[in-house]
Order: sequence, then C-alpha cells, then structure tokens
Amino acid sequence: MTAIEAVASYLPEQRVSVEDVAGRLALTSMQTRLFRRFLGLAEIRLDPDGTLLDLLSAAVSRLDRLRGREHLVRYVLYARAMPVVAPYPVNTLHDLCRAFGLGHAVSFTVTHHACATGLLAVDVAGRLLAADADPDALALVVAGEKAFTRDAQYVPGTSIFGEGAAACLVSADGPRDRVLAYASSIRGEFDGRLDALPEMASRFEKEYPLSLAEAISAALSQVGVSLEEISLILPHNVNALSWQRLCRRIGFPPDRVLLANVQVTGHAFCADTFINYTTAAECGLLRSGRKYLLAAAGLGATFSAMVVEH
Amino acid sequence: MDHETQTPLPSAQSQSAELRPRVFDSISRLLPRVLGREIPAMSADMKLMSELGMRSASMLELLLEIEDDLDIQIEVEDIDDAAMTSVGDLADFVASHAITDG
Repeated sequence: MTAIEAVASYLPEQRVSVEDVAGRLALTSMQTRLFRRFLGLAEIRLDPDGTLLDLLSAAVSRLDRLRGREHLVRYVLYARAMPVVAPYPVNTLHDLCRAFGLGHAVSFTVTHHACATGLLAVDVAGRLLAADADPDALALVVAGEKAFTRDAQYVPGTSIFGEGAAACLVSADGPRDRVLAYASSIRGEFDGRLDALPEMASRFEKEYPLSLAEAISAALSQVGVSLEEISLILPHNVNALSWQRLCRRIGFPPDRVLLANVQVTGHAFCADTFINYTTAAECGLLRSGRKYLLAAAGLGATFSAMVVEH
Repeated sequence: MDHETQTPLPSAQSQSAELRPRVFDSISRLLPRVLGREIPAMSADMKLMSELGMRSASMLELLLEIEDDLDIQIEVEDIDDAAMTSVGDLADFVASHAITDG
C-alpha cells in the first residue's frame, strides 16, 4: 500500500499583507477587506527575487530522508496547477533533478487537476511504484509555483495565492502515512474563466461544496471509514470560510480542519495540503494509527480527497 | 466558540427583532451600490442569486457594507445557502448574527 515516507515544506521569508497584494492588483476597498474580515486571509509569502528552481530546491533540500537514497528514486513528479510555469526551453524539473542527483529518475509533470494535482501526483507515484520490480524504489513528488501573473495571484472574492513549496517521498509500502483511499472527480463543465462567465460561476459556487463533499465521501466509502474516524482534515488553503461552510454541510467539526496556515500563507497552489501536513506533524496533531484526510479542489474543476493512516 | 459567549441569550431575540427592519432598510439602500445598478420594487421575497445575480463575493461585500452602515459585526461562519436565498432571508440572518457594541 502506497506510503508517504516523508514530507518537507518551505515558505519564503517575505510576508506580504493582503492589503499590499490588493493594492498591486488594484482591488477595491471592499474587495480587499473581505479577505481579512470574512475569508480568513491576512498575509502571503513571496520570494520576488527567487526563481521557481529556488522555491522547489528549498523544499527538496529540507527532505532529510532523501539524503543518501537518491539512487532509489525512480520517479520525480512535479504537481502543479498552472499549465505553464517557465518559458521554453527552461525545464525547471530537469534542473531540479540534476541539482539533487536525481538525473537518472524518470521525471515528469502532473497537471490539469489544478490545485488538487498534488493528491493526484501521490496517487500516480503509488501506482508506478506498485508496478515497479524494485520494492525499495521511491518516488519524489514536488509542488510549488510562483505567483507571477494576475490570474496566478487572485481568484475574485475567493483567494489570494502565495508562494510555498513541498516535497514528498513516496514508497510502494511502509508502516506510516499509508494511503488507504483516493477519490477524485473532474467536472469539466466548469472549465473557463469564472470572472468572464457569470452564469457558469454561479453554478460552480453552488456545486463546489456538494462536489467536494462527494469526493470526501467517495474516498471514505472506498475503505469503509466513517467521517467520525477522521481525526484531522489537511485542506487546500483556498480560504477559511468555505471550509467552515463545508464542515457545517458534512457535519465535521471545523476545529479539526487545519486552517491555521490560511492566514499566514494564503493559497500556495498544489503545495497547501503538504505544507499543512508538516504543520500538523510539528504540532503533534498526527497520531500513530489515526486516520486523516487530505482534501483539495481545483478550478476547472477537480475535487479530490485522500484517506491516510498515520 | 466566541459567538456563544458574545451573544446574550435572553435578549438575543429582542435584539434581532429590533435590528431586522434596520437591516432590511440597509440592504435596500446598499444593494444597488454593490450590484452597480438600480433595483426597482425591492421586496423581501426577491431572490438574491437567481433574480439579482449575486454571487458569494458580492454577498460578502454587501455584508461588509451593512457592517459599516449599521456599525455592527456579523458572524458569518454559520452562513449557508438558506441565509442567502432572498433579501428577507439575508436580513433575518444578519439580524440574528449581529454583534453590536451596545
């Protein structure tokens, strides 16, 4: 059974308030205020002088369990939300592999699940390792993107994106953080610019909580686990209010969703759930034998959930 | 939860009843500004999303405007689809989830 051996994350030191971001994006006073007042966002992290390679390298360099085991890494998967992150012929993933002695690994990008792609990458990594002849083979999943365009910085009335990165070492089997289930549903009818298609945006708003709740329910059903058995949800950091509302809908205590990072990181694309994992681990919130849930939604739209046993 | 200690239960209903007409009046005045257009014949039954085309972002902007207008704070954690159905539903929600300084 796929296991997440280790997770490391990195957040740039520079803190930028949502008001400063909103000023650069020329948002109105009300558009700006609702982020802090209602959505639970206060600041994001940025590294304006750093490259994408710097961002991803910072996470991988913190992954101590990788040291000395680079030769076992068969696959390196880059999970990302944006379809394009660097101009041709720059290939940041290949540069990253070379920098960390992983040039021998099969490396590729996993995308098109938007901000839910991180969970897809863990699932794909697990499937590849399960089919690999070497039981000791490992996969490295990395996530993290630069918030470098207006569309990459802001979803109106919903979220502000910041920079952060994560690196996960995945194995075909292991004693801890075993992936019990993964469910994902793609709703392609919501592919398009929400700000330009108000009718679609209205339908998406209505469907969003239903679809995310269904993905969570589907993942739990795969292994016969009840919501009551889930000790913690590690979410994507779109905003706090949408998770609080979802909790009311599915009957889950909102204080068991790790939302503390929403106000200090903003939404770091696909890296959120893994950054939240490291926070949960540091805070002692992950207990042996307890089950937790990674959950994320991506524009376009994808709704995903993963049940993991620590 | 904070709102459990901040809402004095015995007077909550009377405060809500007193506030509700002021909230409705405030919504009636502020909605055209938030939507950027006039709304003829505003009524409590008017549907916020299906009739007026509001979305959650504009709904939150409206709540901020109401907070400023009435000098209140609105606890939004409990807001659900039912609270955002009609103008009257929103007025009910705001009146029952408002924290006033007084």
